[in-house]
Amino acid sequence: MSEPWLSGRAAIVGIGNTAFGKRGEFAERGTFALAVEAIAKACADAGISPQQVDGWASYSDDAATPAALAPAFGCERVRYAGMAWGGGGAGMGGAFLNASMAVATGQADYVVVHRSICQAGGSRFGQALARSDLSASMPEISFTAPFGQLSAAHMFALASRRHMHRFGTSEEQFAEVSINARLMAANNPVARFRDPISVEDHHASRMIADPLRLLDCCMESDVAGAVVVTSAERARDCARDPVYIAAAAMGAPYRWAMGMMGGGNMSDDDFASAGQRTVAEDLYRQSGLGPDDVDVAMIYDHFTPMVLMGLEDFGFCGKGESGDFVQEGRIRLDGALPVNTHGGNLAEVYAHGITHVHEAVRQLRGCANNQVEDARVSLVVGGSGPTPTSAVMLRSES
Amino acid sequence: MSELRPGLPEPTATQITEGFWQAAAEGRLVIQRCRDCGAHRHSPTAACYRCQSQSWDWDEHSGRGRVFSYTWSHHPVHPGLAHLGVYNVSVIELDDTEGDPVRLVSFVTGVEPGELEIDQAVELHFDRVNDETALPVFRPSRTP
Repeated sequence: MSEPWLSGRAAIVGIGNTAFGKRGEFAERGTFALAVEAIAKACADAGISPQQVDGWASYSDDAATPAALAPAFGCERVRYAGMAWGGGGAGMGGAFLNASMAVATGQADYVVVHRSICQAGGSRFGQALARSDLSASMPEISFTAPFGQLSAAHMFALASRRHMHRFGTSEEQFAEVSINARLMAANNPVARFRDPISVEDHHASRMIADPLRLLDCCMESDVAGAVVVTSAERARDCARDPVYIAAAAMGAPYRWAMGMMGGGNMSDDDFASAGQRTVAEDLYRQSGLGPDDVDVAMIYDHFTPMVLMGLEDFGFCGKGESGDFVQEGRIRLDGALPVNTHGGNLAEVYAHGITHVHEAVRQLRGCANNQVEDARVSLVVGGSGPTPTSAVMLRSES
Repeated sequence: MSELRPGLPEPTATQITEGFWQAAAEGRLVIQRCRDCGAHRHSPTAACYRCQSQSWDWDEHSGRGRVFSYTWSHHPVHPGLAHLGVYNVSVIELDDTEGDPVRLVSFVTGVEPGELEIDQAVELHFDRVNDETALPVFRPSRTP
């Protein structure tokens, strides 16, 4: 690998989002209108006109395309359009890598990273490969779906069970992730689930895919979020203090393939992981930062055990040690590494990671509801999922 | 339609996977084996992960293996699957393969929740889908 070059050359200057709706709540508005609202708000936050946006970066096959967005805003021109492969929140950091490269290399001036979800009709993310009908499966899932592996919960339950088997990780330790999310959300007025829960509540919630209970699984939402990325130089002239992109990385380890959505032929260590070991290596190398430098972390929480495995992949504890790590209170607001201070997918809203970036930006601007004192470095980890998964490292200083 | 789990999506074959499903319909489990270095791989794909060769054969496997991980599905993902009740999805690691461990997503029959364990020995049988295909599935090993 060559010397890191990208670090600090791009910055976030604006964030915006729609209201947080229950799945299907905004069906009458639709995905595109939600995307437009979030992007307009992010541009307003940055102090630019949406007409100045000349680059577009998204992920998870977002339905709001540059072909529709640029003319809707009357943009002067399009200079960059990039889609990060991968489903769910896996490609989130990949979209930031694409946006950062585009502005740092001068390909575009202002790139919007956006994600919009509005689940009208018959299909939803939680049904994953079953979708709305149960006809013959697509070839790529013919070795999983016909055997009953249909939902994201099924897939991540397999990793979770293996982690429990190898390391003695417990359901109480999974519960701590969910309890922490609710505690954070209690102080976030826009979070959807703000009532605190106990270990007993967690254990009493119904089983979805053993060992995952309802309170191990995130919600689904109708929501859009957007972020304006520009060059570090241009960022100094924007309305808000820049939050610098210290690194963005995407990747996957050897034979990760579709991750838990495939047949599981990665190494045994990677099977019981979030698949983000190599992303972490690249992110730390590029940023020149390490786990000890992170003041607050947003770790994608579609399922509670994936936060534990993310903590391991990113080196906050050793392999297999994440259960004890969280049980000792380390991810709470007063812990050594506060995690998901907005409430995350479990308690705030499910926006495929874009709202995790928003929270990291608020932390570094010093205006979060659950503000971590003197937060200067924030890690945002995208969803464990198919190749590539990804992450972003943000810092308040250039 | 699957006899054991009616209502689940049925497999669709491609040029590369057709041989797997044809063999399954005949009651045989076949695994791709690299013609050059001998490494086994699944699910079927066009190149060998170890030597990058694009030449391969189908190699019949005994179907003996161990449970690598599992989940018990309680929540019906789709209303059309409520009749399945609580069922397991299991990752099976096959015995006696060359190269990286070879794992299949499948399920184990004849076990109730609480009876399935990681490292448990399993053996092969088939779930008939239709005249053209069947699913290789597993049950606790009867022969030590």
